[in-house]
Amino acid sequence: MDNEKLLIIRDLHKYYGKHHVLKGVNLEVNEGETLVIIGPSGSGKSTLLRCINLLVKPDKGKIIFDNEEITGKNIDVRKVREKIGFVFQHFNLFLHLTAIENVMLGLVKVKKYPREKARRIAEEALLSVGITEDLWSKYPAQLSGGQQQRVAIARAIAMDPKLLLFDEPTSALDPELIGEVLKVMEKLANEGRTMIVVTHEIGFALKTADRVVFFDDGRVVEEGEPEQVILNPRTERARRFLLSIRELYRLE
Amino acid sequence: MDFVEEILYLTSNYGTDLLNAMLLTIEITFIGFSIGLLLGLPISLGRVYGPLPLKVILATYIEFIRGTPMIVQLFFIYYALPIMGITLDAFTASIIAIGLNSAAYQAEYFRMAFGAIQREQWEAALSIGLSRSTVLTSVVLPQGMRIAIPALTNEIIYLLKYSSIAYFVTVPELVYVSKIIGARTLLHIQIYTVTAVFYISMSIILTKFAKIIEEKTAIPGLVLKGRT
Repeated sequence: MDNEKLLIIRDLHKYYGKHHVLKGVNLEVNEGETLVIIGPSGSGKSTLLRCINLLVKPDKGKIIFDNEEITGKNIDVRKVREKIGFVFQHFNLFLHLTAIENVMLGLVKVKKYPREKARRIAEEALLSVGITEDLWSKYPAQLSGGQQQRVAIARAIAMDPKLLLFDEPTSALDPELIGEVLKVMEKLANEGRTMIVVTHEIGFALKTADRVVFFDDGRVVEEGEPEQVILNPRTERARRFLLSIRELYRLE
Repeated sequence: MDFVEEILYLTSNYGTDLLNAMLLTIEITFIGFSIGLLLGLPISLGRVYGPLPLKVILATYIEFIRGTPMIVQLFFIYYALPIMGITLDAFTASIIAIGLNSAAYQAEYFRMAFGAIQREQWEAALSIGLSRSTVLTSVVLPQGMRIAIPALTNEIIYLLKYSSIAYFVTVPELVYVSKIIGARTLLHIQIYTVTAVFYISMSIILTKFAKIIEEKTAIPGLVLKGRT
């Protein structure tokens, strides 16, 4: 595997008022790697993802993405975001646009592609996530959660990003719809895309991740091979968290 | 003569006058509403997304308009502006007064509509690299306009009735003409019945028309709600 570092995070801090959310995060992601971040709710995982594509401005520390310090001054935030795809927990499709228009918006307005070219790319992206032609002109409210999330993934990958961020992409889905989304993500990982996935799906992590990070209380607590972190965590905190998650899975 | 006959008498003898007056009422309503829309939309955008000094100025404008009677605003434009060297005819003064007044209210309706758009829509739009202004034109406006339709319907129905304040500066709109006809024929109940029927019919038509627009622009499968 190519070992070039696409993303380097150094001592990243974020405060919301007095609340210290990120307390010095250090993290590196190699090109082509799938990194899974697990950890309890409220530990700052979402904030970390939002810092990476600058939806949230970090208070201290450095983020180097694609050989450029994006936390520095005179950074074109939009250029950075264009290169980083974001998939949200609640899909966040544009409610007034059809599936294909959702995918096309960025291509037309950001990449300035002519509509025909944008449409072609959008069709390709939708097909690659299993959204067939009969669904292209449906509005988000007419699609199932799983279909909406796959359209959202298509919207992200159509922009041809260097990095894909997933913020608990299956947490808002009915259980029977989780599989179709995870399958798409697995396919993307196998295609060699660089991905950071925040999820509680430890099955997906074991199968697909190159590396797993256990995140708690605004810090990286543990990181390593999926089997090691998930099945044999070194720290007590990770052990307790993973035990409760595995318990849950067994009960299901 | 019985009541119906008297009304027929009025409509046959003063039909043209009444019709012209009604058209003038409709004209004042629609022009006033259009001025309000043209100004109200940018005012709300400036108030929600503009820099702080602009926000303060626009908020002050809205408070001023909402805090004073429309008739005072009209008298100011018609009687006070000439003292400062700006003289307007009665019709122009009326549509300007009504337009400026409606702009403040429409700005508030739009502000509520934009506020009802989920923060997630913004996040998603920014995350693909759209600029803030493109998010406004491509995401916020199309959704916000739809949310605002019921409030705007209310507004135009209000204006239909408030257009009658033009009476006070001698614009020959429906109330003004009705009053003259009433005085001339002494058929007061009859003429104001005709007037009332016109206002009610117009407001029913406007409501129906708005409903059609609402349905035509509805997003399939989705109920877009304003903040309640």
